[in-house]
Amino acid sequence: MKESGLGNYVEEIKTKFSNKIKKFDYNHNEVHFHIRDPNDIREICGHIHLDMEARLATIIGTDERNNGGGFVIRYVFEKTGEDVFMFVIVSLGNANSFPSIVSCVPAASLYEREIRDMLGLLPVGNPDTRPLVLHEHWPQGVYPLRKEFDIKTKVARKEGQYEFVRVEGDGICEIPVGPVHAGIIEPGHFRFSVLGENIINLETRLFYAHKGVEKLAESMAPEGVVSLAERISGDESVANSTAYCQAVEKLLQVQVPDRAKKIRTVFAELERIYNHIGTLGGMATDAGFAFGAARLNILKERMMRLNETLCGSRILFGVNRIGGVRCEVERENQKLILEKTGETLRDFDRMAAFLKSKASLIDRLRDTGKISKKAARDLGIVGVAARCVGIDVDTRRDHPYASYAIHNGRTPQQAMQDQIEMEKRAGDAMSRFEVRIKEVRDSFDIIKNSLDLESDGLYAEIPEAMEPFKSALGYAESHRGQTLHWVMTGENNSIFRYKVRTASFCNWPIMEFAVSSDIVPDFPLVNKSFDLSYSGNDL
Amino acid sequence: MLSISDIALGTVQVLVLMALSPLLTGIMRKTKARTQKRVGAGILQPYYDIEKLLRKDEVVSDQASWIFRVSPWVNFVAIVTAAFFIPVFLANSPFGLIGDLLLVVGLFSLARFFTMLAGLDVSSTFGGLGSSREMMISALLEPAVFLAIFVVAITYGGTSLSTIVESASNSAVLPHPQLIFAAIAMFVVMLGETGRLPFGNHETHLELTMVHEAMALEYSGKSLALMEWSQSIKQILLFALIANIFVPWGMASSASPYSIGIGMATFVIKVAALAVGVAFLESSVAKWRLFRLPDLVAIAIASSMIGLAFYYL
Repeated sequence: MKESGLGNYVEEIKTKFSNKIKKFDYNHNEVHFHIRDPNDIREICGHIHLDMEARLATIIGTDERNNGGGFVIRYVFEKTGEDVFMFVIVSLGNANSFPSIVSCVPAASLYEREIRDMLGLLPVGNPDTRPLVLHEHWPQGVYPLRKEFDIKTKVARKEGQYEFVRVEGDGICEIPVGPVHAGIIEPGHFRFSVLGENIINLETRLFYAHKGVEKLAESMAPEGVVSLAERISGDESVANSTAYCQAVEKLLQVQVPDRAKKIRTVFAELERIYNHIGTLGGMATDAGFAFGAARLNILKERMMRLNETLCGSRILFGVNRIGGVRCEVERENQKLILEKTGETLRDFDRMAAFLKSKASLIDRLRDTGKISKKAARDLGIVGVAARCVGIDVDTRRDHPYASYAIHNGRTPQQAMQDQIEMEKRAGDAMSRFEVRIKEVRDSFDIIKNSLDLESDGLYAEIPEAMEPFKSALGYAESHRGQTLHWVMTGENNSIFRYKVRTASFCNWPIMEFAVSSDIVPDFPLVNKSFDLSYSGNDL
Repeated sequence: MLSISDIALGTVQVLVLMALSPLLTGIMRKTKARTQKRVGAGILQPYYDIEKLLRKDEVVSDQASWIFRVSPWVNFVAIVTAAFFIPVFLANSPFGLIGDLLLVVGLFSLARFFTMLAGLDVSSTFGGLGSSREMMISALLEPAVFLAIFVVAITYGGTSLSTIVESASNSAVLPHPQLIFAAIAMFVVMLGETGRLPFGNHETHLELTMVHEAMALEYSGKSLALMEWSQSIKQILLFALIANIFVPWGMASSASPYSIGIGMATFVIKVAALAVGVAFLESSVAKWRLFRLPDLVAIAIASSMIGLAFYYL
């Protein structure tokens, strides 16, 4: 229980809403406010989001009727620059509706629709009543995250039609794209309304790759869920498994050895490097610059081969375990990492300089897919997408985990420089391109500084039994942005509820804004510049 | 009157063009792969592709009308017909009296017109997108083509390709400065006509960015083979035009086997060099923004205008 560092915000909420808050408690950097009456959540969440300028991190719905809690909804907010997660917790009892907070927290819309689909709780006041996660073929009244829904249930298929937003007028055409695409990518449907080549409206329809990760975890042993977390989105396996392991470690109050923490950091940054290089290559491909793409893909391949030598998996599966890491980094491997990554980075620097001098490429990137700071804030986006428009969020710095705390020492001068750098970013594809290049370099510095490993073992012993109905939030910064894993334990060492929110879920809605001033042939480039995962979003 | 040997020679020229055209595509792909540090497919791959497609069944959308079925043939026939008028290794094209440069441009337009109709005909969204883009680009390219042709025509005194090429091959090295500007314009036009970067990207899988490929997206099997082959032939024709008008030396002036042999060899070298050059260019430039393309065409038009001005100076 630590109270220091949570700032005056807690005090502020306590005094302002003293008669509306039943009780509050702490769990490390989480502060939980239990609300008396569901009708107050809009006011309280509105205050936290609008007046305290906290970002909505996620909304978690749980079915705790069997253990006397009813349906419970947790609104999680975080304040940039402070290591605190504010939970607004409200129990609905057996009621199957709750007031929507969309009117004051726009980012809540998708979460509320998700809760309606998965738990059958109706967000009263959310203007969008269409299904989100479960498509038309899913029968009504079947809610997979309710406890009475057995995971082995086979549901009947139902016919139905999804209603897209219709744009009407002279010369407006609709272009449906996907869900099956020409390249080897994941499924997603994009509905463009265009006037000539100009995009008037874009609607994304996702969740074709929904595979029931959260429900599946409830039937698995906690150790097994590490593998599940790795497979949420194959290219962010380290970030997701780290976040999950940290949630469980927080629950079990396990102290992870420093060596393991540093190894986690090293692998997380290796993951960031190969993915960022791959995304930059993808942007070159989509701009029709095959030379740059081929060169960057060679560098990505080198990094993936390094991954394979280090842990046996090109995409870094099997690095983490609860309590520490599975994968040892011997002294010669440490040398190998520095040598190979250093070599790749030298070539990368030359390539980056070359790409930046390529007028035809830069012309494609500049002012393409521009997002506004206001839209970015309202939708609560994270990661590269947020940093490209000057919103300085980074889970590695805001909520230091693994061994990131040791990298956070910025002199005031550096902090000032970073801030000036942030202000300059325009939110277009070019700025995302530049942010990625910068982050690849930063990652290498972090790896260099992390490689003086302590010798205190790879993992801590974990207690046999877990206390039931305890929850904790784990978090990590993947190359796309913040990923949150919330775990609640059940009886007999089981997982009662596993809620995952990847950066892709936060960032997908911004796509519809990003293309609003673009033309159709620029869409693939805009899409790639955000580099969002379908699988990580669809869960 | 055409003699039998003229007809035979003219036909041989066309057959040579048809046979060599996939090779040219193969050379360009190989060059691009090598510049990108890839191994790439062998240069004969386009032949294998066509052969494979010819053996395959076709899938035709039930929305398609006769236009869709007929278009590949119209395309193919129009472009092969154009091939008869273009000098390849003989300076004096045997069929030159029947059609001139303007007819060649007209036949290309006919082929393109049917390709665009076919793109619209299947009522797939991408086809429509491709057709509308192709229409925009071709409307822009047309004045550039004609201006470039005028510069060449007034320099050599006629639009007949035989006249042009014959007087070009008999003249000294670059006697007319205006031709340099016409060559620049023709080069840009050629990039646009063949859908090369920065106009279009042959290698892309992104339907939303396609121009020519989007119109042909619904074709499969034999029709696709025909579309791809005619695209290759059109490409070699444009290369041949540029090579023979602006770099005419080495062409056969008589029908003797020796001079035809020299003509053949120089033709292959010239066209291959041009292909390698275009492939290098494609590797070194990203695709331009769609609405930037008019700028590029404007460069071609301006260049032809300067050429015209030089003629009268």
